[in-house]
Amino acid sequence: MTGIQLLLIFGVSVLGIYYVIRLRKTVADLMLMLALIGIAVSFILWPELTNKIAHGLGVGRGADLVYYVCILLFSFALLKLYSRMRKLEQEFTRLVREDALKNVEKF
Amino acid sequence: MNQNFIHIVIPVYNHGKELNAIVDSLQQLGYRHIIVVNDGSGRDIFNGSPPKGISYLKHRVNLGQGAALQTGFLQALKNGAQIVVCFDADGQHNPHDIQALVAPLLNAEADLTTGSRFLSEAPESMPWGRRLLVRAGRFVNYLFTGILLTDAHNGLRALNRNAIEKIRITENRMAHATEILFEVKKHGLILKEVPVNINYTAYSRRHGQSSWNSIKIFFDILFYKLFT
Repeated sequence: MTGIQLLLIFGVSVLGIYYVIRLRKTVADLMLMLALIGIAVSFILWPELTNKIAHGLGVGRGADLVYYVCILLFSFALLKLYSRMRKLEQEFTRLVREDALKNVEKF
Repeated sequence: MNQNFIHIVIPVYNHGKELNAIVDSLQQLGYRHIIVVNDGSGRDIFNGSPPKGISYLKHRVNLGQGAALQTGFLQALKNGAQIVVCFDADGQHNPHDIQALVAPLLNAEADLTTGSRFLSEAPESMPWGRRLLVRAGRFVNYLFTGILLTDAHNGLRALNRNAIEKIRITENRMAHATEILFEVKKHGLILKEVPVNINYTAYSRRHGQSSWNSIKIFFDILFYKLFT
């Protein structure tokens, strides 16, 4: 195993463990995370696997395929984060507004 | 005209120089119900003592003009308003325009009226850069809402009670002007433009929208379309 493989496996494991411990607790989330970690680790250990899939999909190199999928995943994560932020902002606005309406002053 | 059922909402953020004079001029014209919404200003907006006879609400943090207007609308509904007029705090709007603005609502010709700087002759004092921005804004509004106005993002508006009860502003910042158009369409409200005059003073230019803001508004509208 090469140094970069060790580093990547370590990084993926830390991210997965952090996600399960701090963010998600349901069994379905755990299974999904385990599956994703499994796929990531397999691709790290056997990079030629990505090449085979890439060729099957009409992409030249495995690394390119991983890059494209990453862009998609990042965009998805960004949109999810944005929609959560909007919800939070709306809730925040509701609270600030309620407070303002409750404490109206007449001069 | 009986001004008693007209409520005027003034959202304020870090203005102050002109506010007392604006309230005073509105009161002199007989408008008794004035709601000032302080949108989390970091300093005293009244330059000392607040004017008499106003309702004053304060957001503890700055949310944006759209949020301040919605808060003002809810307070106006509570106060029993039949017509609400949105009025800017930077001295751009002319209190004498209100009469023309509310006339179509009183005659049941419209549920909502907005001021237009272009129905009367385009004001000489309008900076050319802003004129260009307003034109671009009109077409962005048209693209998103299908409503082609002669002016875009004119803050001087009047709404009847039916419109205030139906319209919900969720865009806290400046994109609320376009959101109102979405709401107009959604609820089948009747919108009419009324010619108004805008004073571009050095003060209002400093506090007006920059080009950068227009880009931010565009993205706010885009995300509003994506997420609601």
